[in-house]
Amino acid sequence: MATTETVSAAPLPQDRPDEARDERKSLSQMVLQSGTIIALVGLIVIFGIMSPSGFLSLGNLTNILAQVAILTIIAGAQTIVMVTGHFDLSVGTTATLSGASASAFMLSGLPVPVAIILGLLVGLGVGMINGFLVAFLNISAIVATLATLTTVGGLAFIVTDGTTLYGMPEVFYWVGQSRIAGLPMPVVIAVVVALVIWIVLKYTTVGRRWYAVGGNADVARLSGVSVRGNVFWAFALAGLVSGMGGIVLVSRLSSASATSANDYMMLAVAAVFLGMTLSNSGQANLGGTLVGVGIIGVLQNGLNIVGVNTYVQQVLTGIIIVAAVLLSSFKSRRA
Amino acid sequence: MSASTAEPIAPPVGQLALQATAISKHFDGVAALTDARLDVRPGEIHALLGENGAGKSTLIKILTGVYRPDAGSIASDGEPVHFAGVKDAHQAGVVALYQELSIVPTISVAENILLGERTPNTAGLVRWPEANREARRHLDRLNQRIPVRRLAGQLSPVQQTMVAVARALAADARVLILDEPTASLTDTEIKDLFAVLRSLRDEGVGIVYVSHRLEEVFELCDRVTIMRNGSTISTRDVADITIEGVISTMVGRDPGELFPDRGTATDRAVVSVESLTGRRVQDVSFTAHAGEVIGIGGLAGSGRSELLCLLAGAQKATGGTITVAGRVLPAKGDVGAVLDAGMVLVPEERRSQGVSLNASIQDNIALANLEKVSSGGWVSARRVTELARRSMENLRIKARGPRQHVGSLSGGNQQKVVLAKMLAREPHVLLLDEPTRGIDVGTKAEIYRHIRELAAQGTTIIAVSSELPELIGLSDRILIMHEGRISGQVPAEGADEELLLSYCYGRNA
Repeated sequence: MATTETVSAAPLPQDRPDEARDERKSLSQMVLQSGTIIALVGLIVIFGIMSPSGFLSLGNLTNILAQVAILTIIAGAQTIVMVTGHFDLSVGTTATLSGASASAFMLSGLPVPVAIILGLLVGLGVGMINGFLVAFLNISAIVATLATLTTVGGLAFIVTDGTTLYGMPEVFYWVGQSRIAGLPMPVVIAVVVALVIWIVLKYTTVGRRWYAVGGNADVARLSGVSVRGNVFWAFALAGLVSGMGGIVLVSRLSSASATSANDYMMLAVAAVFLGMTLSNSGQANLGGTLVGVGIIGVLQNGLNIVGVNTYVQQVLTGIIIVAAVLLSSFKSRRA
Repeated sequence: MSASTAEPIAPPVGQLALQATAISKHFDGVAALTDARLDVRPGEIHALLGENGAGKSTLIKILTGVYRPDAGSIASDGEPVHFAGVKDAHQAGVVALYQELSIVPTISVAENILLGERTPNTAGLVRWPEANREARRHLDRLNQRIPVRRLAGQLSPVQQTMVAVARALAADARVLILDEPTASLTDTEIKDLFAVLRSLRDEGVGIVYVSHRLEEVFELCDRVTIMRNGSTISTRDVADITIEGVISTMVGRDPGELFPDRGTATDRAVVSVESLTGRRVQDVSFTAHAGEVIGIGGLAGSGRSELLCLLAGAQKATGGTITVAGRVLPAKGDVGAVLDAGMVLVPEERRSQGVSLNASIQDNIALANLEKVSSGGWVSARRVTELARRSMENLRIKARGPRQHVGSLSGGNQQKVVLAKMLAREPHVLLLDEPTRGIDVGTKAEIYRHIRELAAQGTTIIAVSSELPELIGLSDRILIMHEGRISGQVPAEGADEELLLSYCYGRNA
């Protein structure tokens, strides 16, 4: 007994020997963790072989970027909420309502910038309501955002009167249809939004507090973190960002319907789940979300090019979500 | 012992770091605290003792701003303070560490240490190198070499506790409150923790130490405050009291017979285990009789819990047989077959394996006994409540009623609900894994008495425990395991702790 104790109490030979071990991972861990990236590369290779001239052309690759730009923005919003350990089912309809409201304001004669800002405020408002319901009234996020999904979806029909709004001022289409240095404007906006969210989540005290709340809300609260305030603002920001996605979409399509962005919700959830498999801790993170968005974008585009119809694409999306969740739960079991 | 009368609290020496006077607190009209007092000097380790439900947790939560008191006053460094929240308490330097809520597993060690408002930043942007350096500085103060960038969830339990202590240091804690910090630590880890606590004390930090392990209190603490039924009964120097004195003050009566009389064992074999082998269990054979209490001991990792899992059918046996009342159980591990044979397991982790904290007492009991409360697939609400009432009466579960949520009960009463749930099946054989872990002395005695009553009715009991006094006091016969095998078998009556310990270490005396 005495000898073992002396050994364990002896000073460690090197200075901080554990720091190096920090970076090392087991092979199986690495394969699991990079599985999602391998899947993305694999998809690109498969579609590249199946349709070398179509899929891999510069034009099509730019096309993929343009197609995923709006999904990137909305998935970014979903990432923020999921970092805090919650869930926002309303990101799609919020985007729809923001886009439709902005369009309606423009058609009513308001200047384009004012209409855009009002549209963004609509998104922020929905996010704040979600945040209030979840953080201050303690309603579970699924139930609260399911309710706002329904309500906001209804409001979008009221705003558009069930029709499609079009004929907005030409200058508005600059947001969704112009190009900067050959890149479609939505791609540029998505990159900026993603960069900002990434910085906020990784390098700001607010973002780190969101991670603390998502990791263990009780510990965070007992350490003096305001869990309610942080959850509230995460939902609020997610609403604002979703609204941004909706407005860019409407500008790209030149029209606003009562359901234009609704489908992005499921895809955004899928992207975030896929991305969660990429982090050490199994938490939502923007880098991972982007890989998830990439997989969904490549899959949709590639399936289109090789001629698989959209219904099958939808089936595949569902299967991918299950696969991603399985993969991440398998990983956390190993950890 | 004049324990029942309140004794005057010793006059303060110098300025008190924290002083709580005449605190009272009610929940839903039920008094949790009536006259709680605690004074903490700078540079002392002060034990806060009391049975489960005595009000220790409530008092701690009031001292740290989680709850607000109905009446009474708190002073920090002689100045009256009112904590509206955890933040206020932190600002006054009062920080608590909770056993199950010490760290956020999914963020880094550094972030855990600087959690709260203490991350160095410029206009909200975290200065990471400085944050990591700062975190390391706090760990250095504790002599801990933990990589600050690692995820806190990947650390061992003692490292997680150290990280939580470092967080308290980062918050400039002058009063540090630890709630059962050693529950999941090994002996060596406990020594490390004690060394850290002593050095903090020497730096002038006032430490409040809550534990059910009285030996620890006597080893570590300078003073002790004892609570009973929501009131502070006495505060003494540890040097002036004995363990027996503490126990009698805690329960308000002499500890008397903690363990009931034995002598209920019969000759009728109920469980026979032959050459049982499985994960961590090697060639184990024994027979248990009706009315007999068999205690199984051994060090952590000796295979004692795995043996219980094999018996309960929760794990697959690779060799040997288990026979219960003449029936040979399937080797592949079949919980259903084990239950059909009349053998039930009361698991160790009551919060995760034993009860559903969000459900009521009656639902917890009913869910494990649906066939008793239903007919033709229909559950009878009346029978659910009746069954719960009977169980509550039998085990003297203290609750407002069968509909009270288990999560709001004290630890001892939660454990009784686990027992009640299993006993409602009227088992022939009861398997117990650490039946009294984290439970106060008074409830322990009740549970022991109940176990012995069951034995007197002919039930066979096989109990795993890491506490040797419990094995000796409770059992008729003790089996000690070492590296998966039974290394010693002795009658419990008059068994010698030293002998048992030598079996635990595999030295056949």
